[in-house]
Amino acid sequence: MDRQLKLHKQGFNRMIPVVLLLAVILSFVSGLRATPASDEVKPAYALVNCRIYTMSGQPIEKGTIVIRDGLIETVGPVEKITVPPDAEVIEASGLNAYPGLISAHTNLFLEVKEQTQPPSPEEFLTAYTQPSEPQEFPDLLIFKEIKPKKQTIESYHKAGFTTVVVVPNRGIFQGQSVVLNLNSENPNQMVLKQPWALHLNFTTERGLYPSSLMGTVAFIRQKLYDTQHYALHLQKYNSSPLFLKRPEYDPFLEALVPFVVEKKPVVFQCNNQEDIKRALRLVNEFRLNAILTGCNEAWRVAGQLKAAKIPLLVTLDFRPPTTSIYSQQGEATRKKAETEIYPANPATLFKEKINFALTTFGLSESSFLKNLQAAIKAGLPAEAALKALTVEPARILGLDKQLGSLEPGKIANIILTKGELFDEKTKVVRVFVDGIVFSYEEKGQ
Amino acid sequence: MSASVNRLNKIHFMLTTFLALYFLLASKQALFAGGNLLIKNANILTVTNGVIPHGDVLVVNGIIKQVGQNLAAPPGTKIIEANGRYLIPGIIDTHTHIALSGTNEGTEAITPEVNMADVINADDPSIFTALTGGVTMVHTMHGSANPIGGINVVLKLKWGKPSEELIVKEAYPTLKFALGENVKQSNRTLLPGRPQRYPATRMGANAIIRRELLKARDYMAQWDRYNQLKNSKNPPKNLLPPRRNLRLETLADLLRGKLIARCHAYVATEMIEFLNLAKEFGFKIGAFEHAWEAYKITDELLKAGVGISVFIDSWAYKMEAAEGIAYNAAYCTKRGILVSINSDSGERIRRLFNEAGKAVKYGLTQDEAIKLITINAAKQLGVDHLVGSIEVGKQADLALFSEHPMSAYTRCDMTIIEGEVYFDRDQLLKEREAASTKKGGI
Repeated sequence: MDRQLKLHKQGFNRMIPVVLLLAVILSFVSGLRATPASDEVKPAYALVNCRIYTMSGQPIEKGTIVIRDGLIETVGPVEKITVPPDAEVIEASGLNAYPGLISAHTNLFLEVKEQTQPPSPEEFLTAYTQPSEPQEFPDLLIFKEIKPKKQTIESYHKAGFTTVVVVPNRGIFQGQSVVLNLNSENPNQMVLKQPWALHLNFTTERGLYPSSLMGTVAFIRQKLYDTQHYALHLQKYNSSPLFLKRPEYDPFLEALVPFVVEKKPVVFQCNNQEDIKRALRLVNEFRLNAILTGCNEAWRVAGQLKAAKIPLLVTLDFRPPTTSIYSQQGEATRKKAETEIYPANPATLFKEKINFALTTFGLSESSFLKNLQAAIKAGLPAEAALKALTVEPARILGLDKQLGSLEPGKIANIILTKGELFDEKTKVVRVFVDGIVFSYEEKGQ
Repeated sequence: MSASVNRLNKIHFMLTTFLALYFLLASKQALFAGGNLLIKNANILTVTNGVIPHGDVLVVNGIIKQVGQNLAAPPGTKIIEANGRYLIPGIIDTHTHIALSGTNEGTEAITPEVNMADVINADDPSIFTALTGGVTMVHTMHGSANPIGGINVVLKLKWGKPSEELIVKEAYPTLKFALGENVKQSNRTLLPGRPQRYPATRMGANAIIRRELLKARDYMAQWDRYNQLKNSKNPPKNLLPPRRNLRLETLADLLRGKLIARCHAYVATEMIEFLNLAKEFGFKIGAFEHAWEAYKITDELLKAGVGISVFIDSWAYKMEAAEGIAYNAAYCTKRGILVSINSDSGERIRRLFNEAGKAVKYGLTQDEAIKLITINAAKQLGVDHLVGSIEVGKQADLALFSEHPMSAYTRCDMTIIEGEVYFDRDQLLKEREAASTKKGGI
């Protein structure tokens, strides 16, 4: 009887630390659920005993990262870093820490008007006979249209992403993109750069002029010349209005001036190799500060791209474009090209020493990892892949002082993984965005 | 055991991948000989210097070096045994729309600002189709939806080469015009509420072209005035250059003689109107396209020095083609007009030699007929100093035919551009045979 009681007592004593730990975890998890308001003082964290891929040097085998107020305070080997007393310690042995991944081209958080049923003849006629809505959006700030969704953010987190660029997706002059940190569902709190760049697409899906590809090129050239003229006119008028008629206000051209004259970044969407050449000709003609996106046929124009020294945002979408010879010899050839030829695009660019970032443009989060693995299998070193999702996009976005690597003073965008990043079975277990922690540990782990 | 199976699988995978890639690329891979060839024992139809039976052609660096009999080649030159087959200059199609990602900017009537050189697609399989019919060069054009279309481009059909290497820079820069039914949209069903696009009549087409050319004149005057003021001793303060207008700038280039008009027209009256317009504004017409009623106005065409680019005998497919006659090409040739036969199609392009051959039925000799798709076409495109005949010094664009190319029984066996073989029927058939017997091939 005594013995039994003793045993029972011992068991109880043994339970104490477990209960305490549970309490800590519970408080921690409940802390997670309530997204802290931006004016709250953020807690300090110390991630200890993890393998750290800083991207600014050799990986640290066993290191500590101290996060305070959304920024990285210190990072280094465990023995060299003193954990501040107020920091909440997160034991991360067996886990890998990487900078949060950046996808520099997405269409996230945009409302898609889904047509569930084909229009009736009446609806079609009405739509056809109404004057067409404007189809150009040079002054559109996509920031104003985004509606962040928790589910999307979480699925991006689980794929390792902490930062995305949201790109508008209608028209030729599509509008201006925004760079977001996936830290909440509050757009204002998410903004890293607003606006980032003007986006152009060689589209022909229109009812009005221009409705052909050559028309689109001519339209872009005319608008860029018009902008140059408009800016010159304004400048002359502002310096002296005497004997000079004032320029007629033009919101379209007004929106383009910063990009055409002040050389803010312009991003061309290039859906095939000829789009890349078309964009390069325009960049050359107008001396634009350009970036090309899409570019899954960049491997076919590597020579020209190398000479042009223009940064690329390369999608991991390997479907051959419709113009490609591989799309015009039957479905079997197209499928073969998708699985055996196009995945080598990033590897080819790497071998040619062309700077590029990888993006999820046109992909679902689930196909991202699969396609990235295919690109690595086709010859892209995993290290280069990691750079193309961290350091490179940060540099292209002009955010390399605050993003892309784990260094003191930079934004605390960190992912913790179980296993090497990009391995099939690897899981992202924790994500820090602006120091805000999101936990994705599955039950039973 | 499982390791060996894995290895076998791996080898199998690698083999199939390799084969698949090989056959995919084989169809795009010309048999490059570095531009050096000796074609032996051919019936050479030089087009400009008669026929050389049992003749040889020596090509060095893509240029025809020697034409004659029993020629010797430098060591390492690729030898092609013609065995008495017929060698002709590469066929030139003066009017087609292949190798482009777009045909018409049809939303507006006046669109000279668009340039087909912006939308070349070197992956278009029609290029290969054309090569199988001995075609080596095309004038690929804006469509005929607009009175003033766009700037056209001349390409060599170098299958597998990047688009920029296809462009023939020496060719005339040409601007597409169009008249008649396509322009006035007479065959289009209008939906209620949609206005008819102006112009809707032949008078309208003429008027709108005239109006745009007048605008171009004003535009030129604006720039002249600006340049004059800018270069004057005391330029006015706050002088602003005129706005660049790409549409009017193209038309100004036409008026300055830097561009040549190519006008789609069917009936005699609209062609006369356009000749008058050219005279009034002083621009040059390269050729009328289709020109079914050219036979009615040969005196006027001769006087203006304007050629025609036509079909041989597919008339009466619409109202304005009703008075076309199959003797048009032959008759106009006999009257001294520069005539070429065109395909206007990615399919008919592979039997242009058959189309030209039909001209023999309508009164031309074989020698005259073959000119319709070679030297005449080269003259119309301004490249007759480079191609269009088999002469020493010209580019080695050649086609080898099994029979006389104007015969109904002939077929093209080999097509060569600048000394490189881009199509070889035997080779292609062998590759297909190999692909069909080996597993994993396509």
